[in-house]
Amino acid sequence: MTQSTQNRESSSSGVATYPPTEQMLEEKIDKRTQEKTADRLRKAWETPKGWRYWSAVNNSEVGVWYSLTAFFFMMCAGVLALLMRVQLAVPENDFLSADTFNQFFTMHGSAMMFLFAVPMFEAISILVLPALLGARDMPFPRLSAYGYWCFLIGGIFVMGSILFGVAPNSGWFMYPPLATKAEGVGSDIWLLGLSFIEVASIAAAVELIVGVLKCRPPGMRINLMPLYGWYVLVVGGMILFAFPPLIAGDFLFELERSFDWPFFDPERGGDPMLWQHLFWIFGHPEVYIVFLPSIAIAAMVVPTVAQRPIVGYSWIVLSAVGTGFLSFGLWVHHMFTTGLPSISLGFFTAASEAVVIPTGIQLFAFVATLMVGRVKLNLPMLYIAGALAIFTAGGLTGVMLALAPFDWQVHDTYFVVAHLHYTLFGGMVFPLIAGIYYFYPFFTKKQMSVRLGKIAFWLLFTGFHIAFLPMHLTGLMGMPRRVYTYPSTLGWDWLNMISTVGAFIVAVGFLVFTYDLLRPKGKQPYTPRNPYNAGTLEWSHNIPDEAWGSRSIPYITSRYPLWDQEKIVERMDAGRYYLADAPEGKRETLITTVLDAKPIQVMRVTGPAWITICAAIFTGGAFIFPTFHWYPPAIVSGILAIACVLYWLWTSTAPIPEQKTKDAGLGLNLPIYASGPASAGWWGVWITMLGDSTAFASLIFGFFFYWTAKENFVPSGSDFVLASYLVLGVLSFAVTWATLVGARALNRRGSTKTARNLLLVSALFTIAGTALFCLSVVNSGLEPTSHVYPAIIWAIMVWTVVHTAVGLIMLGYCIAGATFGKLTPEHDADLCNVTLYWHFIIITVVVASLVIGLLPRLL
Amino acid sequence: MAKNRENEEVRTFAEEADSLWLITFACSIWAIHFVVCYGAAAFVCAKWSSNPAVITNMRVGLGIISVLALCAVSYIGWRSWVQWDFLDDYDYEHDLAKEEHRHEFLGHASFLLSVISFIGVIYVSLPILFLETCQ
Repeated sequence: MTQSTQNRESSSSGVATYPPTEQMLEEKIDKRTQEKTADRLRKAWETPKGWRYWSAVNNSEVGVWYSLTAFFFMMCAGVLALLMRVQLAVPENDFLSADTFNQFFTMHGSAMMFLFAVPMFEAISILVLPALLGARDMPFPRLSAYGYWCFLIGGIFVMGSILFGVAPNSGWFMYPPLATKAEGVGSDIWLLGLSFIEVASIAAAVELIVGVLKCRPPGMRINLMPLYGWYVLVVGGMILFAFPPLIAGDFLFELERSFDWPFFDPERGGDPMLWQHLFWIFGHPEVYIVFLPSIAIAAMVVPTVAQRPIVGYSWIVLSAVGTGFLSFGLWVHHMFTTGLPSISLGFFTAASEAVVIPTGIQLFAFVATLMVGRVKLNLPMLYIAGALAIFTAGGLTGVMLALAPFDWQVHDTYFVVAHLHYTLFGGMVFPLIAGIYYFYPFFTKKQMSVRLGKIAFWLLFTGFHIAFLPMHLTGLMGMPRRVYTYPSTLGWDWLNMISTVGAFIVAVGFLVFTYDLLRPKGKQPYTPRNPYNAGTLEWSHNIPDEAWGSRSIPYITSRYPLWDQEKIVERMDAGRYYLADAPEGKRETLITTVLDAKPIQVMRVTGPAWITICAAIFTGGAFIFPTFHWYPPAIVSGILAIACVLYWLWTSTAPIPEQKTKDAGLGLNLPIYASGPASAGWWGVWITMLGDSTAFASLIFGFFFYWTAKENFVPSGSDFVLASYLVLGVLSFAVTWATLVGARALNRRGSTKTARNLLLVSALFTIAGTALFCLSVVNSGLEPTSHVYPAIIWAIMVWTVVHTAVGLIMLGYCIAGATFGKLTPEHDADLCNVTLYWHFIIITVVVASLVIGLLPRLL
Repeated sequence: MAKNRENEEVRTFAEEADSLWLITFACSIWAIHFVVCYGAAAFVCAKWSSNPAVITNMRVGLGIISVLALCAVSYIGWRSWVQWDFLDDYDYEHDLAKEEHRHEFLGHASFLLSVISFIGVIYVSLPILFLETCQ
């Protein structure tokens, strides 16, 4: 019998003791055992001290750094807004030059979106999600840390550019030809710096999705999951489909900026509209990516305030999922004035109106919960109430703007500025502040001041309306956006002055809030453990703080365990539930099944490390050096980043455990090692590749877009990709894929030597395939700078071979694993993940070769 | 045993297909319908905007596709309704730690999403009904 069979049987015998009976949970644990196990657990999860603190990867540290950094960038972007408001306060002002003003509004939008709104969602989720799920940590803590450091480096790079007066200045949407032709490095900073951060966002999305699906506590079935989890799942999924089109767009854009490949240049067959499509396919879902997690906070606050379960749990799930889908059908409503056929505009108007239904439903569910509950108004609820009021107003102007004829009237005026700030303040900023007040006792074990909170609220709320309500009128009176000044004869003066006054009131509100957030609270006594008598698991936190997340991982039978499950906190504290001990001194968390959260694995998670910071620095180099066209250091950085990541994976992921199974508590014996779909890593790869495929699909969309929109997309007399090379290349990759699948099967059967040889064959054919694929384009005489047709073919080729090259590194990793005993018949997680990667790559290769090889010949 | 493990990927998907994926089906049909309408209109209007016959054919074609999409959404809705099984126990909250509640909850959520998708498909079909030319 193989080891894996033993694993399976011992775990199935473990399942016999699951779920735990009341009698099992009643059993007392003596004090000494409790203390001994707590000490061991504490030691395993200890946060590094002194300068080593920065090597921490625990969600509670990374989440705090992440949120404070995002908050800092928000304040920077806010200062830019204030300076712009000063400039606009009076007509014909010369406080800012036109170019500075351009840089400021570009950076204000870019920073608020990329450096604040999305990272803030990730930060808060990293902080709160494990606690909501009673988990110890996120499934891939080092990935969170890596994401954070990437975000910090990229953020400082992008934001810092403004201090040198070289910031991007073409608007946060970077429309070509303005942005492609812009002089200086501004556009490159935007493209490369933000692409770098987008990669970090996708990493966070992968981690959050896996966290929600696989790291729930035993018993927390999908119908019992906190609503926050549902929102995170939906938003994570949206990030996977929304960010990749932008990454694909960035890829094309940067190829045009750096190498003059004319994707957006109409003179050589390109089309600036492609950028607009790719940008807004990202840009509109982005709005909901920002809105949903914030409204998720409301879904946590409202039941607590009403002291009863949420009304219409299924309706809110409908709301989240429905909004997630419909939000992808809205992007053209940002492009109503670009001359698209009216019938196309009609579809987007229709979808934009339809999305109001799911968006509205959740708000009604909140109101209903408040109506039937016994409301105890508190500070977080005050902000939620403000949010609902503001968001509803923003939603109403949204319904107006979604109608193409109305949009034509107010497009690019301050009416749109007013609308988007109403939705973002109501949909993001206010709920976020509510969340910070609400979760503050959980984050810091102290409380913020109610009095200062109220003062800040009224300053923010009134200031906001003073600043943005008049903008509706300014816009209707015709004032365009993004002008650095205006003449006094148009009647806009007083409205602008009022807006500026309002902006400063908002700023004072933020200062009050920031002071309250950051002021030292050393002398203040600890907060009560569950200050609002909430029902969800995060309020079982330890006071004073403990780094272990949860003393023992509970068995859950309710949506509001702290209300419904008697003695749950007491039993968690006593270590009566799962994983109360860490006898091997390792950090561990439970992996459960997707639907019913049956425990299936004790997963070892990674601990503090510097390698993640090194990897982030070198990844940063690989993105930042090309901004200045310094390619050699960029390549060196890229190689070092890969080396760091390989070292990190080799030393710490899926290590072979010293024992096959372990006692997880309550008589449950679970495997420590898992591979394939049972493991979290496999899910991570699957989800990442879903995002990657979306980016690839966007490139292919580009090809079809040119074909549809351009008269002579394949100019007559053009060369074609060399068919013989291409066919041989595809066949080589087919051999790669087949031998890899064979190697995985043979390895599992125990023929490790043959498996390793097959992997070698696989690697050799990857090299051959990659070379043939390159040559088929390089030798074809297609000149990428001459026209968009060869350029898009080159771009698809480059995309494909970069992926096969990464696949080659993965194969090398498996060969090394097979050679040095990391890959064995029972421990084949790496091989499973690499096979999964290659499933996706073989599809990419086939589609790419059909599009670049076959289609141009047919067209 | 090895064979059993090899099928793990397939089996996992099969289990999921029975369940969590269900709630995405109706919306996916909406999305596909949307993309088909948008793609067809963009293509026809780019290549044959001056030929009313082609546009009429496109509108008829998309009309048929819309009806098919509505049928498909209705089918998902009906299946979810059966899974929800509301009239059996009038359970609306599904908040107990029981397999049945999980099963019915997914049916319920999927049913509601079918309703939204149905409305969404109708909305998106309206321009086909009312707009007779590309401009």
